[in-house]
Amino acid sequence: MPHSRSLLRVARRIASDPAAAEDLVQETLLRAWRNFDRFEKGTNVRAWLFRILFNAFYAQGRKARSSPLVASIEEGRLEAMSRGDARAQPPIVEAAAVSHALQQLSDDHRAVLLLGVVEGFTCREMAEILSLPIGTVMSRISRARQALRERLSPACSDVLHPRADVECAEREVS
Amino acid sequence: MNCHERAELTPLYLSGELEEERAAAFGAHLKSCAECIGELQHQARLDARLHDVLLAEDVNATKVDQRVREMIASRAASQPAYRDESRRWILATAGIAAAFALLVLAGHRFLLGKQVAQVYADAARDDQMEVVQLQPRHWYSDPAQISVLAQKVGVPQSALQALQRGPYRLERAKICFLDKHLFLHVVFSDGQRDLSMFLRQRDAMSVQGSADEMMNGKLVQTADIGGEHVALFETPQLIVMVATTQSSDAASHLVAFAASKL
Repeated sequence: MPHSRSLLRVARRIASDPAAAEDLVQETLLRAWRNFDRFEKGTNVRAWLFRILFNAFYAQGRKARSSPLVASIEEGRLEAMSRGDARAQPPIVEAAAVSHALQQLSDDHRAVLLLGVVEGFTCREMAEILSLPIGTVMSRISRARQALRERLSPACSDVLHPRADVECAEREVS
Repeated sequence: MNCHERAELTPLYLSGELEEERAAAFGAHLKSCAECIGELQHQARLDARLHDVLLAEDVNATKVDQRVREMIASRAASQPAYRDESRRWILATAGIAAAFALLVLAGHRFLLGKQVAQVYADAARDDQMEVVQLQPRHWYSDPAQISVLAQKVGVPQSALQALQRGPYRLERAKICFLDKHLFLHVVFSDGQRDLSMFLRQRDAMSVQGSADEMMNGKLVQTADIGGEHVALFETPQLIVMVATTQSSDAASHLVAFAASKL
């Protein structure tokens, strides 16, 4: 099915558990099939599918956030971090920290980060998908980015904001 | 532009949606503000991390796909309304495909209307203004920032990497609008001259040119517009365009190289 992996990737992060995420994607694809005659040819079919996904999600009511599947992945990775494996396997620890921090955000913040940063939608497309004014999307994604940074700090601050970058920026300006 | 305005516009800047005038003001502010450059680099780095982490997750939609296929088949078989709907859908799809095949057989040059040629004209204009005339634009040369821009138009990092394994060097990149669609405008150098390449995720946009030929297994469509040689081909994932005033051979060489790598 077209775009089902992308839809499931996002659904796993907003639905209550893996089964609910699969049900949400299933409902999305069936609605798309039933309403294909409403799709405007030449417009972005991916954005249309994500709009259906979020409409279905909101219609269900926002259930419990963090997926047990995601949570179990996080627990394993965070255990590794607490055992002091961070320096031995920095990419894995970093991934766990980023993934865990994302799950701590509100549904609204997580949604704009998933759509804008992970799935690559523009602010205008996100406004369409989430039925929001573009100004709201802009302020929401700014706050979401800030919230994610706060949750990652200070554990990953050395990874995400290396001194070398600051020095490089300063050299560029001078 | 001050730091507060820069912060407000950052979402549009990072998604490549800022209009040229405001993008120029944004860029000018960055050049004069080390704090904002550091902030933006930090943000771009965090975005790239989040993107990479989630895309590296194992997501298997096979089970859902199978369930949906079975449900559609079941509904189509058991309910007259669905059966009719399904039949209409299949007939409509088959009809569109047949019509498209006939049009292709009739020759792309007969399709060349104002609308379908626009993307070529826009690519030619961008190359002329931004690469030939070197009009001031905010370009990115940092690979990490280019990678973030590429994500915005659905171009995978692997595609950019593949294009750099050859005689061309990736010089700089920016986001642009061609026929109302966002493209990544990448400038490659062969050591003597700069050539424009435009990339975006493949979708339903119409891209017919005036002539076509096969290169490395890809159907390449071309158009000559006001001294600019424009060539385009598609892969299952991407739309790839090349524009240059150098020569049609230079355009063909870059297209053939890209077609062999993507």
